Amino acid sequence: MAEARTIEVKPVKTVLSDQAIANIIITIFAIFFIVFLIFPLFQILKTSFIAEGKLTLKNYFEYFGKSYIRKSLWHSLYVSTVTTIITTTMAFFVAYAITRTTIKLKSFYKAVSSLPLMAPSVVQALALISLFGRNGLFTNWFEAKWDIYGPVGIIISEVLYCFPYALIILITTLSAVDTRLNEAAESLGAGPLTVFRKITIPSARYGIFSAAALGFNLTITDFGNPIVIGGDYNVLATEIYTQVEGMQRFDLGATISVILLVPAVLAFVLNNYFTKRNYALISGAARPFLRPSKPGVKVLFTGISMLISLSIIIVFLTIFWTSIVDVWGGRAGQSKQILKWLTTFSLRHYDFAHRGRSINVVWTSLWISAVVAFFGSWLTLIAGYIVEKRKPAGHQLLYLITVLPAAIPGLVLGLGYILAFIKVNWLYYKASIIILNIIVANFTLGMLNTMTNMKNIDKSIDEASTSLGADLPKSFFRVIFPLSRTSFWNNMLFFFERSMVTISAVIFLVSPKVDLASITIIHLIDDGYFESACAMSIIVVAIVVAVHAIFITIFRRKGLDVL
Amino acid sequence: MPKNLVLEHITKKFDKIVAVRDMNLEVQQGEFICFLGPSGCGKTTTLRMIAGFEIPTEGIIKYDGKIINDLSPQKRNFGIVFQSYALFPHMTVAENVGFGLKMHKVPKDQIEKRVDELLEMVGLEDQKYKYPPELSGGQQQRVALIRSLATYPEILLLDEPLSALDAKIRVNLRAEIKRVQVELGITMVYVTHDQEEALSISDRVIVMNHGYIEQVDRPIEIYKNPKTKFVADFVGTSNFFEGTLYGNVLKDKGGWGEFVVAKNVLENSRITSGNVSLSIRPEKILLFKTQNEIPKEYEKRNIKAGKIEVVTFLGVIVRILVKIGESHVIVDITEKDFEKTMLKMGETVYLYFPPEDFLAFQS
Repeated sequence: MAEARTIEVKPVKTVLSDQAIANIIITIFAIFFIVFLIFPLFQILKTSFIAEGKLTLKNYFEYFGKSYIRKSLWHSLYVSTVTTIITTTMAFFVAYAITRTTIKLKSFYKAVSSLPLMAPSVVQALALISLFGRNGLFTNWFEAKWDIYGPVGIIISEVLYCFPYALIILITTLSAVDTRLNEAAESLGAGPLTVFRKITIPSARYGIFSAAALGFNLTITDFGNPIVIGGDYNVLATEIYTQVEGMQRFDLGATISVILLVPAVLAFVLNNYFTKRNYALISGAARPFLRPSKPGVKVLFTGISMLISLSIIIVFLTIFWTSIVDVWGGRAGQSKQILKWLTTFSLRHYDFAHRGRSINVVWTSLWISAVVAFFGSWLTLIAGYIVEKRKPAGHQLLYLITVLPAAIPGLVLGLGYILAFIKVNWLYYKASIIILNIIVANFTLGMLNTMTNMKNIDKSIDEASTSLGADLPKSFFRVIFPLSRTSFWNNMLFFFERSMVTISAVIFLVSPKVDLASITIIHLIDDGYFESACAMSIIVVAIVVAVHAIFITIFRRKGLDVL
Repeated sequence: MPKNLVLEHITKKFDKIVAVRDMNLEVQQGEFICFLGPSGCGKTTTLRMIAGFEIPTEGIIKYDGKIINDLSPQKRNFGIVFQSYALFPHMTVAENVGFGLKMHKVPKDQIEKRVDELLEMVGLEDQKYKYPPELSGGQQQRVALIRSLATYPEILLLDEPLSALDAKIRVNLRAEIKRVQVELGITMVYVTHDQEEALSISDRVIVMNHGYIEQVDRPIEIYKNPKTKFVADFVGTSNFFEGTLYGNVLKDKGGWGEFVVAKNVLENSRITSGNVSLSIRPEKILLFKTQNEIPKEYEKRNIKAGKIEVVTFLGVIVRILVKIGESHVIVDITEKDFEKTMLKMGETVYLYFPPEDFLAFQS
């Protein structure tokens, strides 16, 4: 006995099967990454190992033969190691303060520490120079003779730059580590210091290692801060820039790139490894009630947290102030009039046209970032969906490739683009090459966001949609996309912000025709317009903070989480 | 011509793991069949192959005489109900139920009509504009059920649809699924690890283990005449005795001594000698308080004395664990008998194992 039908339902018609669509999409992504990631990297290797048509180590002999250039490797390793130790230690204390003590103003510390993520990695060095540089406020005030240009300046800048990244990892670690262990140890008679040494630190060890590896990677690949405050103290990143931009030595630039790739990739791999171990350790742990901390503990941790938060705030206040006074820091030998100099305001530093630059770079940055945000968020969502939910042949390989960009220093990828696409008219010195580069360079984090989100969507949901007659595009737009809005919009914001503030990825790719705000900061310093560089930094930071605030407001209203 | 679903020599491998081995099965149109087995036995993989989410490594799947191995799930028009409901949380109940129709490009007014009719069928008219998270588990699964029925699928596949629900709701919904199946005359393929569910709901049960079909039969046959030791063990409760068979006498290895087995039992299982497992259901064993109560004609070798070790009250029946030597045997008696006999823990009792109630399996 069959059911009497009340309506008519015709079979579904599809042109392409889901499998064919998934295969086409994965092939397009594969080609995309081969052309815009693998090929440029290959060009770097080729340029460094081949001279006059022969495989040779000539470039490497030249690098290690010239003592001035050779030093950049040791400089890089030294600066990165010291920065890593200081950053990880400080971030650990602040993370501990936020997760394990009952100090006040926790959300203030967290909010402040997210500020550096919204600025080009050059503001720290700018602020240091404003305060302690040759014509710095304190230098003139105290008529001091100190020298901030060099390793000390780089290390302080990098600590302030890397701190937020390390802090995020350590907060996650410490808030998830099971505090019942501490209580068990205490009940067995261990004192607070013993508990800290024997329980807290060991149980958070993978988080600490992971934060340290990330800090090392960020420092050794950073370009903005060392180029501004390094002076004669060259590091690998600045040396690549000098060789390529200054000497037109693409071969040496590529060679130093390969040398930089080794520690950078190593640190990245370690970070990945420790992150995995860390998550294995922290999943599913309980979070009991936090007992009130002792007054002494509170004072200590408030002190450390406040010190770092204030330093970060001072960075932004300083560059803002520098940008709006007529002459910052006054003149050497006139320390008495310092207050007068500080309160003589002027907007002349925002007149970029008089400094051979144009405010148009801001518009270029804005529209390029908008395009990057749009394509970056869609591409990562599609790739994440195909890899995690449809799993066509080769999906694991595609996943591995998408993880690769995070390991590659931006400067190296940028140089690779120049070497690879110098003869491609629609790319070379065009906006298109900048957009592609920023999307590829930041693909990893966007993809990881999407993958986490996809894993949270039940596999059956996608299959239910399929069995009800929806083909792959319909499942994607009607079911998967509405359930991925949180990660999608967060990714859009992420790509926009990275695109606004990145320096190292695009410094080789800009041209007088297509120039960006973040790069203009570097050019203005080169040209001696330090205050205008601060002004441009403030514009970039203001835009990013404003867009961030708008997104967060919309998220709240739409009930989306902020990642 | 009835539209039958036929599986011929189906094998499914994942890398080196074989999930389903050489499966042969024919499902009649309008039949309710159940795949029953422990987790990892291949039952869900089989269902997913029928649905089109997995493609068989070897063999063919035929529906209505046509090979459908490579046919995409959208074109099979088989409905699926998932364990996790898999409702779309961002759509209302009505939108969920109408989703399939929308995908089939059915006009709006017709979708509306069909959705109302289906909601009425399961009594969810009031919940039409609610979102899935606002419904109870049972209501959600009802929505999932009618959503999968909206496009008049010819087969409905259900993958452990009730295992996320409470015991009471499970029984209610089970009856409802059966009612819908009878009402619509639709073929249903149901996967479960719950034997009670499988035996109570289906026309035929397919017991699976390690990718093999152990037995395909009506529920009562599965229970009364399990074809393999696995089925006897997995479905219901059984006591097992291992030993060597001489004629119709089993010499037990576990210290039970000898058991006499009825000749027709051995003939039915085509067993003549060698290593044999005997099984017997707990309710088939007779329990006596004293030796005198045992009828004289009972086979002496099948009477064993033991001590009551544990008594478990299970409602209508009382389950008694009797220790004999170093081994245990489970005996079920009715609650009424238990009241009458006033058995106590530690008490010595006599058990009689009727020769004709054994099942024999070659081991």
